[in-house]
Amino acid sequence: MIDKRLFDLPGMKKYVVILGILVFIQAIAIIAQARALSIAIVNLWNLQSINTIIGPIIVFTVAFLARHLLTVAENHVLFPFVEKTSGDMREDLMAKIFRLGPAEIDKRGTGNIVTMALEGIDQVQTYLMLVVIKILDMSITPWLILLYVLFLRWEQAIFLFAIFPVIILFMIILGLAAQSKADRQYEGYQWLSNHFVDTLRGLPTLKQLGLSKRYADNVYEVSESYRKETMSTLRIALTSTFALDFFTTLSIAVVAVFLGFDLMDGKVMLLPALTILVLAPEYFLPIRNFANDYHATLNGKNAMSAVMDVLHEPEMSQREVLPDLKWNDDSTLKLNQVSLTYPGSKEPTLKDISIDVKGMHKIGIIGASGSGKSTLINLIGGFLSPDGQNQISINGQPLPHLNQANWQKNFLYIPQNPYLFHATLAANISFYVAGASEAAITSAADKAGLSDWIKTLPNGLNTMIGEGARTVSGGQAQRIALARAFLDPNRKVLLFDEPTAHLDIETEAGLKQDILPVFNNHLVFFATHRLHWIGEMDYVLVMDHGRLVEQGIPDQLAQRNGDYVKLRSEMEAADL
Amino acid sequence: MKNLKKTFENDTWVMPYLRKYKGLLVLVLFLGFMTFFSGGALMFNSGYLISEAARQPASIIYIYVPVVLARAFGIARPVFRYVERLTSHNWVLRIVSDFRKKLYQTVEQKASAIQRSHQTGDILSILADDIDHIENLYLRTVFPMVIGWLLYIFMVIGVGSLNWGVGLLMLLLLGIITIVMPLASVATNGVREFKQHQIQHTFYTNLTDEVLGLGDWLISGRYNDFINLQKKPIKSIAALRKRDHYFQWWRSFLVQIVILLTTLVLLVWSANQFTSSKSLANWVAAFALAIFPAVSPFVNMSQGASEWPVYKRSIERVNALDDGGVQPVEQTSLAEPFNQLSINNLTFKYADGNRNVVKNISMTIHPGEKVALLGPSGTGKSTFLKLVVGDLTPSDGQVLINQQNILSLQDVRSSLFGILDQQPYLFDTTVMNNVRLGNVNASDQQVKDAIAAVGLKDLIESLPDKYDTQVQEAGKRFSGGERQRLSLARILLQDAPIIILDEPTVSLDPITEKKLLDKVFELLHDKTIIWVTHHLAGIAHVDQVRFMENGQFDMQGTPQELYKTQPRFRQLYDLDRGRV
Repeated sequence: MIDKRLFDLPGMKKYVVILGILVFIQAIAIIAQARALSIAIVNLWNLQSINTIIGPIIVFTVAFLARHLLTVAENHVLFPFVEKTSGDMREDLMAKIFRLGPAEIDKRGTGNIVTMALEGIDQVQTYLMLVVIKILDMSITPWLILLYVLFLRWEQAIFLFAIFPVIILFMIILGLAAQSKADRQYEGYQWLSNHFVDTLRGLPTLKQLGLSKRYADNVYEVSESYRKETMSTLRIALTSTFALDFFTTLSIAVVAVFLGFDLMDGKVMLLPALTILVLAPEYFLPIRNFANDYHATLNGKNAMSAVMDVLHEPEMSQREVLPDLKWNDDSTLKLNQVSLTYPGSKEPTLKDISIDVKGMHKIGIIGASGSGKSTLINLIGGFLSPDGQNQISINGQPLPHLNQANWQKNFLYIPQNPYLFHATLAANISFYVAGASEAAITSAADKAGLSDWIKTLPNGLNTMIGEGARTVSGGQAQRIALARAFLDPNRKVLLFDEPTAHLDIETEAGLKQDILPVFNNHLVFFATHRLHWIGEMDYVLVMDHGRLVEQGIPDQLAQRNGDYVKLRSEMEAADL
Repeated sequence: MKNLKKTFENDTWVMPYLRKYKGLLVLVLFLGFMTFFSGGALMFNSGYLISEAARQPASIIYIYVPVVLARAFGIARPVFRYVERLTSHNWVLRIVSDFRKKLYQTVEQKASAIQRSHQTGDILSILADDIDHIENLYLRTVFPMVIGWLLYIFMVIGVGSLNWGVGLLMLLLLGIITIVMPLASVATNGVREFKQHQIQHTFYTNLTDEVLGLGDWLISGRYNDFINLQKKPIKSIAALRKRDHYFQWWRSFLVQIVILLTTLVLLVWSANQFTSSKSLANWVAAFALAIFPAVSPFVNMSQGASEWPVYKRSIERVNALDDGGVQPVEQTSLAEPFNQLSINNLTFKYADGNRNVVKNISMTIHPGEKVALLGPSGTGKSTFLKLVVGDLTPSDGQVLINQQNILSLQDVRSSLFGILDQQPYLFDTTVMNNVRLGNVNASDQQVKDAIAAVGLKDLIESLPDKYDTQVQEAGKRFSGGERQRLSLARILLQDAPIIILDEPTVSLDPITEKKLLDKVFELLHDKTIIWVTHHLAGIAHVDQVRFMENGQFDMQGTPQELYKTQPRFRQLYDLDRGRV
């Protein structure tokens, strides 16, 4: 019920001590407030003059103000700490995401990561603010009050103390109910909300099938059945809250009634009796506050777990093994029997891949879908780590993986859908080259065949593109990625992953003419299933079910009648 | 206030449901009121009880009624609270069901059967969130506010009936925390909320941008730029949040000061009012003790009110959906089987566009004909398809089926067109249910036959749950090619005379593509087919190829003809099959 991780947060102990002292003083203020109020009431009850209550009222006022000022003070004390902790957590998360790279994003989904960094951390902040003070309040205030009541009249103190385990019992039931509620209902809720979004997204399909109108009732029915289910789980949670509520409220009533009888018998005076009665709700208040906010804090707790999960995710270390590198005609890249298994998968996606590359080449990677082309490109790009150690080497230097800062300075990666940042066209082109001159950018754009398009843009190279700005067609996006390659003469390695598969044939034909020149004097890895690219390659890797089944010069492979020939014949269309 | 009026002016999302579930609403408010009333009454009664008991009356009879009442209120408070929470949650969830249906229907009206991207998914998630917001509007703002006001009125009248002067003071003092401060909170928070929303939006967009482009960031090695880009918005959010927190703390403190003043007023008043006799003096403790539980619902009213701007935005957004309904066209149906699709001088311009996307296109398609449509993205192919099926109304010209305008055939459209698009949607249910969507009256055997026809029988029957296998979210249980085949099975069951293929193979590899196309044209050999495609694989299946450029057709003819006579076509075809 109480999150132990909270007290392990760096620097938390100091704050717990300070806050503990404040809460302690606050509890004394609460007792003083009750005592002063009771004195004033008893004086009036004794029909004493109004002057006799001036003193108690002043004490009451001061204690009351002190109590609430202390609440503000507690928040003031804690907030900078919470702000720093959550702020650091956010920065750590961002840094971690950067280090984990795109593979992690694929695993968790962009939306999830963004929500976690934004709303998740906010929820953690709220959680920390709420829960720390509440826990301290619960562990200090009731006991001080109880001690005071004991001093006034031990019978009531024992009653109040005896009722506490009952309350704790119901708190635990509440906790369990809340847990299962949180789990089950959250699942149910996720399911429903997914179902709803699922239905909305599938609307075009429903419309195609002429079912869209009829489906409205289905939406309603699913939602209604969810309501009934929720209500039944909610009932459990609410019932335990009810029990908690019931016992505390009834305890106050019982205390009042017993005090009444004792007063009648003259066993107690009005002042201590009244003080006890005023203090009884205060005794239960912290634990009730805690229970009331319990559900509200669940989100924060879950968010914190999710963030912690990401922060504890293992990452590829040893990113600096490779010494400074500038790929040239004499550089070598060797893969020796490399296998790669995705986490959670039993079968390796790449099996025993061995490649030996020296200098500048144009290497095509072909194979049916699912053969491991993209995985191989991702391995070369260092986004994925191989199963074994030191099976890869560059210039003879054995490397654990290719997520090497100095290797990454040497290549450009051009996927099927190059990502365009929400920035100007010029900034997008010069993303890899800090401080590129406008002339250089213009020239690169020109080589990539963007000039005609740029002329039609309102602000030329300074036009904003990307999400929420001017949309860019798939062909233009490829050209922008290409311009990056033209702009940066230092990156001699180019990794292409199906750059033209989704383009229409005319755009593809046009783009090809502009891509070809960049191949010169570069080491190119080009994964594709578009056959015409093979003609431009001087070396081909044929992949099948994760294995490198054939490799060699295209013309030689064509004569061998092996996997290469088989694959080509399956892909190729007939004569017209 | 003006703002409030504006929000609800054309409201169809909040008010109608308040009216629809009036009875339950009144019950919720009553129960809420009784909860706090009982809480106050318990302490009021207890105060009186012990004061009276302390006088040591001769008989227990004198305190008998308060003793019984103490127990009664002690039980009543939690019971009322319990029932209130159950009722209000039930009420809200009931409304949510209505909301979902309504949102669905609203979106349904505007949805098009021709859909290229799934980007709209984000908008839909936002709308789904809006519904949750409106749910919270009731639970966190409306109910507590109204219940608070009821108690406020009750207390003012109660005290006022004993002493109108003190009643007036209560009216003013408690008015500060129940009316003035909530209003002030809405005003301050409205501005802040707006700002925060903007900053968060920037942060959100930046962050999404960064995460989506993470590969590029990583390769570029620009770690510091990556981290620094977020620093500014994070800082501004933190600053705003800080101000927000401070505001809340001091506002709560202010509420407490008003409560203190109220308590003092009541104490002084009771000191004057009730000290004339011993029996009257017993009421002093009653009033003094009742204050704190009685004012407890007021403490959170400002907070509830300050959440209003969030809700307001949601309400406005869902209400905005209702705007711009489509002009209804009188619907009819075809008496005879499909015999001709004629497209006459079709022209279209988007309402917010400045050029014609489709320019004066005419063509006639007879039953059994197969037409392929090619062209770069943005030339109007999908707009053309939307016009053909009647999702868009042409600016000029018309689409006729058997001389009937397509716009008047919308109710029977699914019996005319079957559509296979880029990413046919599989719903998160079983294979059987998904395929049966093609014809909800189809028998299990017919569904199985359709699945066998598309060549998936062996695959499906090899799965542990066979035809009851869950396809999972968006059909991810199956590969792209398999999803296309399942949708094709759906179309077979649908059995419409005209089939529209909207780039169904764009995300498939050439081997899968070839197999799928062969299957499609084999199974649909007697249908009329309009096929939008991005390259020339499988083009031999059609009778006619048309290239579209800037909303018009330029090159057209049979594939064989074009290959012989058009060098451009020949070059593209050879490129497509890798012979360059």
